[in-house]
Amino acid sequence: MIESVILATQVLLMVAGCLFFGVGTLGLFRFSDTLCRIHALTKVDNLGLGFIALALLPLAPSTAAGFKVVLIWIVALAASATSAHLVARAVRSGEKAGIEKDSRND
Amino acid sequence: MHFFRAFCLRAGTFYLVWWVMTEGDSSGLGPGAAIVVLVSILSCRLYPPSRHTLHPVGALAFAGFFIFRSVVAGADVARRLLSPSLPVNPGYLTVRTSLPAGGPRWLLANTLSLMPGTLSVRLRGAGLELHCLDLDLPIDEDVRSTERKVAGVFGLKEAKAEEGAS
Repeated sequence: MIESVILATQVLLMVAGCLFFGVGTLGLFRFSDTLCRIHALTKVDNLGLGFIALALLPLAPSTAAGFKVVLIWIVALAASATSAHLVARAVRSGEKAGIEKDSRND
Repeated sequence: MHFFRAFCLRAGTFYLVWWVMTEGDSSGLGPGAAIVVLVSILSCRLYPPSRHTLHPVGALAFAGFFIFRSVVAGADVARRLLSPSLPVNPGYLTVRTSLPAGGPRWLLANTLSLMPGTLSVRLRGAGLELHCLDLDLPIDEDVRSTERKVAGVFGLKEAKAEEGAS
């Protein structure tokens, strides 16, 4: 009984995680500028990966393996936040340089 | 003494990571201990211990807050994306943070990138430039509550004077 409940929860979490990844990718197509796309990718994929990691936890053969799944989520989060920040900074610098260039041309 | 404490804390964390990475394999624990000591020495040389130390209770409160807010953030962006009219009102906003430079500010910037509607663009001194998905959201309020949680992680008292000045 309990096993089937766990299995159903796992399937539900897994499907939810995949759906979130799908929606995050949809953001790449629906949003028109780079920064909005990053919003979609970082936040929605964070949640998608979180759901998938949660779904995998009951399958972990040992406590350490369970922690490993959580560690993967944390490291992926740190990487996504840092890369999002770097891309955003590059876009912003590019915008400012573009404005300065335009005002010089006028 | 301060240095020794930071060293022990880092070595403990690295050993935990080692144990997790080897999935608790007992044959790896010996070599792991040697590597952990070397890595901790290297870490303390490259990143000398700062005066900001982690507080376990604050860190737990932060983790709970973070998980809750990331669910809100993901659901919020997904809702906007799935609605046909695509309701966004993007723009830049600069907020001032009362957190001290270094670790706390860095954690705030990175956390805000994963919180609903905000993406940190640039950190210059106490000014943090954000890109907001929807400027109609109460961004300033969200930043303050995140700031309080980050302050809790480092056991900082709230810098009320600076907050009042901003």
